[in-house]
Amino acid sequence: MDATPTAELTSTPGQHVVEPLQDGGGGDGTSRRPHPLIGIHLCGSTALVWRTADVKAAREAGVVGSLVGALPRQPRQNGRLGRPLQLGQEELRLLLEKQASGDDLESSAPNSEGEVQQAQTECYEEEQRSSFEAQSILALEERKSALLRAMGGAKQGGGTSQPDGGVSGRLEVLDQSFVFPRSAVAVQLRTARAGLSHCSDERTLLSSAQPGSSQRAPRSESRFQVFRDLRQRGYYITSAGKFGGDFLVYPGDPLRFHAHFIAVCVALDEQLPLVDVLAVARLGSNVKKTVLLCSPGGPAAPVHYTSLQWSGMV
Amino acid sequence: MNEVTEMTESTDTLCIDDVDDLFPHNWILHHPMYLRMQSLDVEDGAQVHAAFLVYMDLTEVRHWKDVSSLKCPELQVVLLEGREKEGAPMQSILPLPVHQYLNHKSVRTVLGRGFPVLLCVVASDSTLVYQRMTDGFVTPDPPAGQIQDHGRRQHRKRHQQH
Repeated sequence: MDATPTAELTSTPGQHVVEPLQDGGGGDGTSRRPHPLIGIHLCGSTALVWRTADVKAAREAGVVGSLVGALPRQPRQNGRLGRPLQLGQEELRLLLEKQASGDDLESSAPNSEGEVQQAQTECYEEEQRSSFEAQSILALEERKSALLRAMGGAKQGGGTSQPDGGVSGRLEVLDQSFVFPRSAVAVQLRTARAGLSHCSDERTLLSSAQPGSSQRAPRSESRFQVFRDLRQRGYYITSAGKFGGDFLVYPGDPLRFHAHFIAVCVALDEQLPLVDVLAVARLGSNVKKTVLLCSPGGPAAPVHYTSLQWSGMV
Repeated sequence: MNEVTEMTESTDTLCIDDVDDLFPHNWILHHPMYLRMQSLDVEDGAQVHAAFLVYMDLTEVRHWKDVSSLKCPELQVVLLEGREKEGAPMQSILPLPVHQYLNHKSVRTVLGRGFPVLLCVVASDSTLVYQRMTDGFVTPDPPAGQIQDHGRRQHRKRHQQH
């Protein structure tokens, strides 16, 4: 049975929580792996991922991000950082796009949600029933042992021995007439959240609360198109602040490979000073990476890539 | 500045006028290739001059073969084409003065000619810098030399310092 994917939006006061759908990667609808939910918290305009499972799921979707949290046991260093994972603007947008592609599945969600809730209710009630039965058995045994203690004590204290039949008789009476009142049942209150299927009525309220899609600088638009195209070609991408470019492009997971390319996103008609072209190409050759000039052709047009290399002609 | 060499013992003397005839100040303007480039009718004089300097470098210094100049109508610049040596594949060279700008579209246009492209940037002191431009993704060369695995030596060293 395939797991039906659902997209959930939850929020706590002062924070947006947007949870996009993870596309399972399989093209055909017949075989789909279970879809994990990725919880993204927006702190202002910065997107953060807090839970380990979500960080893992994001990595599997090809989104690397960067860890920005301090590690509790190694606080004063910058070599290794922990959660939360900060997502770049392009990475956030890519994950949200994947949710948008799963929107048609959301329409079927209300039905499944009703079923899910009913199943959960039944499960809960069953739990309560078995808990009640177990507790009543335990209560009865405790009463019996208390009775035996009382009888045994009376025996010793009184000196006159009562016939044993009296004890068993009393126990029989207890067995038959003992009633464990419902009001005395101990109920476990879970403080940890069992799952994300809560506050579903807030989903419709927040489904339009997506980070500002209205104003997008043209440069960020071209950056995103390049990002998405590179991702579709299977490359892993991180930011290239240290190398004077826009992205660092890896042939595989950054933990396993060195970057091959420094991607510089420009518009096709953008005028670049020649000195800058030379500078970035020379830098690239010094660190053994090829500089990639990337220009999106248009909204539906392919992205043009040109590799810049040091010619070696001295 | 011209230097006049006077040889008292010999009757051969070089006077200023002769030197001027042999090595005119404006020899570039008389060079046949320069005149050819001028005839291509490209407005940008600085770019034509840059193209000529690249031509001289390729032919006289690097001894390239079959170097010719042509006009690129879309970009209104002088392009060069040539081979590194006999039998080598043809390459396109785009010469540009350093103070000018370059856009990606122009690069794609030159790449569209179908030959490997070299961008050559010409500085005001005639320094030439060549840059290879290729369509698509070119994987960089892997690091050369032996890659030694230091193991935990570095880690241990750091530990000792504390």
